[in-house]
Amino acid sequence: MSQCEFLEESIGRWLDGELPPAESEAVRRHVASCADCGAVCQRLEKIQLTLGTLLAAEAARLEFAPFWLEVQHRIEAKRPWHVEPIEAVQSLFSVPRLAWLVPAAIILVLGFLSLAKWPTGVEVNNYASVESIDAHGRNVALLREDETKTTIIWLYQDPEGEDENVEETAKSGPAF
Amino acid sequence: MSKKLRNPVLLFNLFFLAVTGWLHAADKTPQSVKVTVVSILAGSTGDGFDPKLKGLEQQLRPLKHHSYRSLKDETQTIPWQGNKTFEIPGGRSLTITTQEFQNNRIGLKIHLTQGEKPLIDTTVKIANKGNIILGGPAHEGGSLVLSISAAAQ
Amino acid sequence: MELSDWQLVEKCQAGDAKAFEELVSRYYQKVFMVILGLMRNREDALEVAQETFFRAFRKIKSFQGGSSFYTWIYRIAVNNAIDAQRKQKRNPLDFHEAMDGMFEARNEVAKDPFTDVHDRQLRENMTKAINELTAEHKAVIVLRTIEGMSYKDIGEILGCSEGTVMSRLHYARKKLQDKLKVFL
Repeated sequence: MSQCEFLEESIGRWLDGELPPAESEAVRRHVASCADCGAVCQRLEKIQLTLGTLLAAEAARLEFAPFWLEVQHRIEAKRPWHVEPIEAVQSLFSVPRLAWLVPAAIILVLGFLSLAKWPTGVEVNNYASVESIDAHGRNVALLREDETKTTIIWLYQDPEGEDENVEETAKSGPAF
Repeated sequence: MSKKLRNPVLLFNLFFLAVTGWLHAADKTPQSVKVTVVSILAGSTGDGFDPKLKGLEQQLRPLKHHSYRSLKDETQTIPWQGNKTFEIPGGRSLTITTQEFQNNRIGLKIHLTQGEKPLIDTTVKIANKGNIILGGPAHEGGSLVLSISAAAQ
Repeated sequence: MELSDWQLVEKCQAGDAKAFEELVSRYYQKVFMVILGLMRNREDALEVAQETFFRAFRKIKSFQGGSSFYTWIYRIAVNNAIDAQRKQKRNPLDFHEAMDGMFEARNEVAKDPFTDVHDRQLRENMTKAINELTAEHKAVIVLRTIEGMSYKDIGEILGCSEGTVMSRLHYARKKLQDKLKVFL
């Protein structure tokens, strides 16, 4: 890339006074010595001037009094009762706002899934799944209590004295 | 869409997806599990419900014992895929190993021993912040009931 | 002593209608210029400019002064103009014709007839070239042209970064140079 091509992007910023001083000085020197870049500067300035003149000329034709009168009419006009709610709803569903609704919808979906996934309060699904169980030869009962959604593992100890060193042996299981 | 808003919205959406993705990933890998074991004596005589067990009342009632008394309440934080041993009344011990965390359920390996003798080995998956009841071993004329609860951290 | 924009805004917020009139008188031409630069039709631009001030009046109580009044009013103007354009796709020649009419009505006479013809062609083609830019490119070039606004302020009005303003300006200028090279 030649220096001119490299500097082309900087010329606009230089004309706009948006370049840091050191860079600005380098562009100024180059533009002063390079006919092509000097011409670019002139073209950019002419575009700016022409557009500014066009718009300013149109704006100059605009008189304040009738302009303000119309604004005032709008301010004072009693709008039908339904206009403001309709505008509020329309603005809610305007395209830019709908774009923001995307993450909002994701939040809602995640929130909904969270409710199902992370139990809270009385709706807790407290059931546990028992994947393996080894009672080393003893009887064992696996129970699910529906009211509190609780899983209960009940171990029936061997009544034949295997656990003789245990103080006492449960004679029976719970009466579910 | 108004083009002036397109870039910030796009950036926000990407940021949002990254954050939710990160949160989702965080959900899958808790640092540790806080396990609480409550040892309860369920008696076949007497009448009474230990006020300390109020939170477990509904779960214990179906066992249809006459009385319930809290013997011990112990909480330990178990590092992920690590284990900790809880001392249980009657010379018993309960070793709990944390195994996996999926769909907000915590996998636990439970090993209950009486001295050197194994009483039960089981692998369960319980709801995060939920519990399971393990009961049966005889104790002081009644039955020992353990409530094992776990919460991912 | 002339009150600052912010002082006038505070008076408006306190219910002083005269203060709002003063704000409108300060900005109505510039707001109109911004909107005209974005839209193709003078009458539509006038309508949108009036609607801009009406909306500003309704919103002024919520204006906290986080930005200057002029960036705030230009932001409303640009949003209104873009919305209005989306709603009504008008004949792209309208603005062009309006400008033609204006120059003829004023019967401008340049010192050098050749320069006059040349500049006139440039002005005519300028409107056409501007109308061929996208709304976002039009907006940066118009805002920069009207008040020599800084990239920071333009970014604030358009809701984009200074870097984006810079690259849009560069692109818009390049396009205009290409389209107008015969007349520049």
